[in-house]
Amino acid sequence: MSPILTPHEVHERLTSQAAGVTVRVAVDAAGGDNAPDEVVKAAVAVAGERLRVILVGAAARLRELLGPQPSPYIEVLDAPDVIHSDEEPVKAVRSKPASSLVVAARLVADGEADACVSAGSTGAVLAAGLLYVRRMKGVMRPAICTLMPAVPLPVVLLDVGANAEVRPEHLRQFAVMGQAFATEVIGLPDPQVGLLSIGEEPTKGTPAVIEAHRLLADDPSINFFGNVEGRDIMNRTVDVIVADGFAGNIALKATEGAARVIVKEIMNAVTGSWRAKVGALIMAADLRRIRDALDPEEYGGAYLLGLNNPVVIAHGNSRARGIGNAIRTASRAVTSGLLPTIGERLAVGSHGVAGESADGCG
Amino acid sequence: MTREEIFEQVKAILVDTLSVDGDKVTFDARFQEDLETDSLDLVELVMTMEEKFGIKITDEEAAEIKTVGDAVDFVEKRISVA
Repeated sequence: MSPILTPHEVHERLTSQAAGVTVRVAVDAAGGDNAPDEVVKAAVAVAGERLRVILVGAAARLRELLGPQPSPYIEVLDAPDVIHSDEEPVKAVRSKPASSLVVAARLVADGEADACVSAGSTGAVLAAGLLYVRRMKGVMRPAICTLMPAVPLPVVLLDVGANAEVRPEHLRQFAVMGQAFATEVIGLPDPQVGLLSIGEEPTKGTPAVIEAHRLLADDPSINFFGNVEGRDIMNRTVDVIVADGFAGNIALKATEGAARVIVKEIMNAVTGSWRAKVGALIMAADLRRIRDALDPEEYGGAYLLGLNNPVVIAHGNSRARGIGNAIRTASRAVTSGLLPTIGERLAVGSHGVAGESADGCG
Repeated sequence: MTREEIFEQVKAILVDTLSVDGDKVTFDARFQEDLETDSLDLVELVMTMEEKFGIKITDEEAAEIKTVGDAVDFVEKRISVA
């Protein structure tokens, strides 16, 4: 098990800037429920000497929001078209090359930005990422990876929706990528990986999961714990959980939904009577700590792992803080060892044999 | 460009971009059943073919391309017209 870090430390590592490196992040300013106002606020809050933001969207409105003395670290690129959340993602991405999302993705593909952030529809961001930023060599399927708020520390969960059905080898690759994310971006040394299934025994699960169990166990570069079940997510039995997109998405939403209900009921209870209110005052700091640990906006968004450059999908209803965190974590993904580590681990061959590298476990 | 050269280029795209096993790529190989590609892979393939060969493929035409041979035929017809 990894040594204890506080959620604050995790947040700090997730958003830290490397010294001496300038990162350019392309941001889809038209994506999300609170675009472009909250996106601009986020850019203003995070942009600086070492973190340049390129806002892509309706230029006139963006310049208006940036005001008469815009930050020198924020650039505006005009892209008048928008992809709406009800459009079929692949068709929309192919037919709207002038949309803010596609233009932002192309900046990364052309080397004019190092990473891309969007709060737009997940399907569209995935399509744009796949078709423009492209998969890293050796990656068979990208995965959407999120940090599950859990107490005391978040849990890395992937895939939460890029692939409804997967083959065992894809799950092995997700384990490699998730482990790389945990070590390189969050800084958890030697994270343990669990395979989401419907029982502890290696014989439990779908045929793909059963075969994947074998692949993960046989791979010397994966610190494999074994199967984990749904309830082990919030329990932090492991640091990284691997699942296919179908199960992962259900697990994510069930857990978020449950957490929301519990927090709401607690809030209702503490405002119920005078006695409860007094009790709440006494417990205020503790309640706040739990609420913060469970707040999705704290960790920035979902990461598309397996592409040539980081693409971060912020929650659709993110406000400035969530989008700001997404931008910072995209920058962190660029400067951390995430991409080279994934490239190295997945280029060694489909059976996890270490080949020429000195130590397969990194 | 000969059919063989087109085939080799299409095979290279499949191996490099879609991480398909090169040994499975034959003229008759069906994208979905034999090469295990999905609809998103096919869109990537079509886009890369457009770039590589300098041609345009509509969504309707792309829907008709079911085997590697179909893709090679399509490119051959397109570039001989150019």
